[in-house]
Amino acid sequence: MIKLNSPHDLEILRESIVSKRDPNRTCVTVCSGTGCLAYGSHDIFREFRLEIEKQRLGEEVDLRRTGCHGFCGRGPLIVIFPEKICYLGAQKEDVADIVSKTIVDKELVDRLLYKDFETGEQITRIDDIPFYKYQKRILLDNNALIDPEKIDDYIAIGGYSAIAKVLFEWNRDDLIKEIKEANLRGRGGGGFPMGVKWETTRNVPVDPKYVIVNADEGDPGAYMDRSLLEGNPHCVLEGLIIGAYAVGSQEGFIYVRDEYPLALENTKIAIETAREYGLLGENILGSGFDFEITIHRGAGAFVSGESSALMNAVEGRVGEPRPKYIHTSVKGLWDRPTCLNNVETWANVPFIVNKGADWFKSIGTENSKGTKIFSLVGKINNTGLVEVPMGTTLREIVYHIGGGIPNAKKFKAVQTGGPSGGVLPEDMLDIPVDFDALTEAGSMMGSGGMIVMDENTCMVDTARYYIEFLAHESCGKCIPCREGLRQMLRILNSITRGVGKEGDIELLEELGEMMQEASLCALGKTAPNPVLSTIRHFRDEYEAHINEARCPAGVCKELIIYHINPEDCLRCGLCEKNCPTNAISKDEDEVYVINQESCIKCGSCMSVCPEKANAIVVENAFRPPFANDLPKTDVAATTIYST
Amino acid sequence: MDTQGEIVSQSPYQGPGITDVVVIDDEESICEGCRQTLETGGYRSEIARDGIQGLKLVEQSHPRVVLVDLKMQGMNGMEVLTKLSEFDPSIVSIVITGYGSIDSAVETMKIGASDFLTKPFTPEKLLESVNRGMELSQSAREKRVTEGTAQPLRVPEKAPLNKQNVLLNGLEVLGQYYSLGLKERQFFSELKYLESEAEHHAERLGRVEEKEKTVLDIVHDLRLVDNIIQGYGYKKNVLIQILMDIQAELNWLPSHTLKWVSMRLNIPYANIYSIVNFYNVFNLEPRGDHIIEICMGTACHVRGAAGLMERVSSLLGVQPGETDSEMLFTLKSVRCMGCCALAPVMKIDEQYNSNPKVSDLKKRFDNYMGKEESS
Repeated sequence: MIKLNSPHDLEILRESIVSKRDPNRTCVTVCSGTGCLAYGSHDIFREFRLEIEKQRLGEEVDLRRTGCHGFCGRGPLIVIFPEKICYLGAQKEDVADIVSKTIVDKELVDRLLYKDFETGEQITRIDDIPFYKYQKRILLDNNALIDPEKIDDYIAIGGYSAIAKVLFEWNRDDLIKEIKEANLRGRGGGGFPMGVKWETTRNVPVDPKYVIVNADEGDPGAYMDRSLLEGNPHCVLEGLIIGAYAVGSQEGFIYVRDEYPLALENTKIAIETAREYGLLGENILGSGFDFEITIHRGAGAFVSGESSALMNAVEGRVGEPRPKYIHTSVKGLWDRPTCLNNVETWANVPFIVNKGADWFKSIGTENSKGTKIFSLVGKINNTGLVEVPMGTTLREIVYHIGGGIPNAKKFKAVQTGGPSGGVLPEDMLDIPVDFDALTEAGSMMGSGGMIVMDENTCMVDTARYYIEFLAHESCGKCIPCREGLRQMLRILNSITRGVGKEGDIELLEELGEMMQEASLCALGKTAPNPVLSTIRHFRDEYEAHINEARCPAGVCKELIIYHINPEDCLRCGLCEKNCPTNAISKDEDEVYVINQESCIKCGSCMSVCPEKANAIVVENAFRPPFANDLPKTDVAATTIYST
Repeated sequence: MDTQGEIVSQSPYQGPGITDVVVIDDEESICEGCRQTLETGGYRSEIARDGIQGLKLVEQSHPRVVLVDLKMQGMNGMEVLTKLSEFDPSIVSIVITGYGSIDSAVETMKIGASDFLTKPFTPEKLLESVNRGMELSQSAREKRVTEGTAQPLRVPEKAPLNKQNVLLNGLEVLGQYYSLGLKERQFFSELKYLESEAEHHAERLGRVEEKEKTVLDIVHDLRLVDNIIQGYGYKKNVLIQILMDIQAELNWLPSHTLKWVSMRLNIPYANIYSIVNFYNVFNLEPRGDHIIEICMGTACHVRGAAGLMERVSSLLGVQPGETDSEMLFTLKSVRCMGCCALAPVMKIDEQYNSNPKVSDLKKRFDNYMGKEESS
């Protein structure tokens, strides 16, 4: 590789890469994000290579492995350029068909095309699929165009030109002014303006200064940072280098979760290749600016995603937060000024530099500019990563892009903001999604997890789930958080077991307010949110659990029993085969029954029962009022049922 | 373990409290400078201000490399070098000289110096030379063993790990080091260390006992730790990465590796233990051959991850976080793998599965068990 010594060299390199590529040439792209890899996209890619070789098409067809396309629910994704034909859910066996039909004969393989849920209409082009049509993909768009392991692909689409611009045409003040003007707010949860952070760090008269990419995406149910780092790591690097230049830092860190091996690998490759080109290291592009990046692997702790905790972890210590009377922008890593932002925020920077603050400001709402990536998951038809302008309503996201709730179930709520956020019920579907509106509605933006829940999701169980998560992740340093969570979990456990007491709801509310007031860091201050917001919107579910020992959604396993309806049962025996405890057997009338003694209520039978039969029913385990007086172990639902 | 029954002395390692380098120079600034540079390079050094004191120090702490100033008051460098090579030829000596003339350099080489540094020298130059010296000393020691200067001992065939055996083996290994020049004081500190290890292993790790882990394996582990720490240049702030690398090699973090890290990096054991306890990634118990992870992220939870966990747990007869008695499976819950589209998702040895059916799981687990039995 040649070392680039000036913006001119970069331009020449770009031209030479582009000149070798014909935009009208057929190019097959296979998504290689973690989701699609799990569906077997690696085998598909290999099969394509063999098939193209076999049919001697190597001269006419390009094959490319790309980053995550976002439509993970329907993977593996194959997009054929220049027509942008999109095939969903293809298997290895379909490859020969795709090559001979679509590539050679220019015909479509109908069975792999997207079909509309309602009309059944087939859609050919990826951009016309509703999931993509209603999005505004700025950050994610490039994922589908480039091979994350190849820096040339990124340079071909204009990559690293923002660095050239910043280093040679702008001074540091211009740059910070532009980012401030764009009002880019941190995408990691807090929504703090990035430009202000940069300015603070820059103005502290202490050296060295550090910049950090926070890729410790601990929020369960959110994976946009993973997708960006996996699919387009150079964009994040470029943003980080620009930020480093702005604040005057020469050393940066990328803190990646250990659960994301592919992101780690691709980032490593990106750093190496960028260094070989002279886009990283000493004297970047001949400008005299030096900058180095080190990758730091996280070791799996939610609280380590908090900025001061993350810095502790980079220093090789326990990743616990510390009080932030002095901002990390002033005293961060090794007590030096440190500018930390999350992956998505850094990835926005090159776009703002290239297209200007005015362009960025034209997208979004008054106080929340630009686009935001959400991971739309849970009980939703189109699972995947969704990038929309700030201010798009939840209804648009859930129904237009997400295609609504599967199996004709009823929508119940959307949970945003992860364990620090809250739930938004149906009557809040029309609020515009931005930082302020979500906070006002009692939830928060968080890093962008959006978990859709239907009528079969129990809200008390959801609250219990989050509190269990947080109780495990709390570092235990301050008492309000540690003890508050422990007590909350104890109360929620008893409610979901049907032994809740009157006054429990009020006690939860009181505990929650105390924690919000008195906890040390953001984890503790926001920890009661899942409980408080479910109480606010779904108090009736709490009351049903406490007063009637009934779980309306049929989830809490101490309160339900599974039962096979003999009239609907097809006698196929699938449930028997799939019962982990062998609790299902035939009785003398050849009807399958569940032995309640050995049933562990895992729901396996329900998930395998053929759709046309739907013979497994969940019933409330009736519990007489006097059960309150019995010791806990004796109120097992099964005993009551068998009498 | 393929190292079993082999000649022990082929894996000599540095024990705790051993000085790596002794610096003998009458100029205080040079001594202090060397000490600091060597410390950043991860070497423990001791300082002597004249030849007599220097030789005493060498006798006490038995370093691997000695830096000697050629021109000193009292006993001069040449004399020191001669005594050194008489005392132990495997000690590598490097000469510091202000003259830098070829003559004196050649003279020192004749009586056993392996390298020389001309004043003034840079820290890089010093470390480079000492690094080379360490390697030389290592191969010199190994050579002594293979040539029979030191009599190699054989450790008995596979012996189960109980306290008695560990001690017995430990004594043999230590005897080996003793013959290689380890001094009595160090011998006993090593012994004490191994004794506590033996107790710990025999009590806490009944399972390891079945796998016939011997003290040789422990020595092997410690060498591995040394290599990893060296790879990171003895930096303290990469502790977490070091621990992760150790775990990647050994599958878990045995306590002797943690203690070793603590000694080598000079970080209190309590700090290391608190880090290992804090992060979910680290395992203080040995894990099974197959790691089964079930995602407990919100998307998976909503789509029934708890049920999946119940199923797998009851099929394997193992609670989350535990390993079965055959050491085949370890069941773990993970907070979000970021594959929410596959929810509920389960990972068996790096392979992702979306909501696997019980009937498929049964086949798969049986398969694993059958395979293991036949092999």
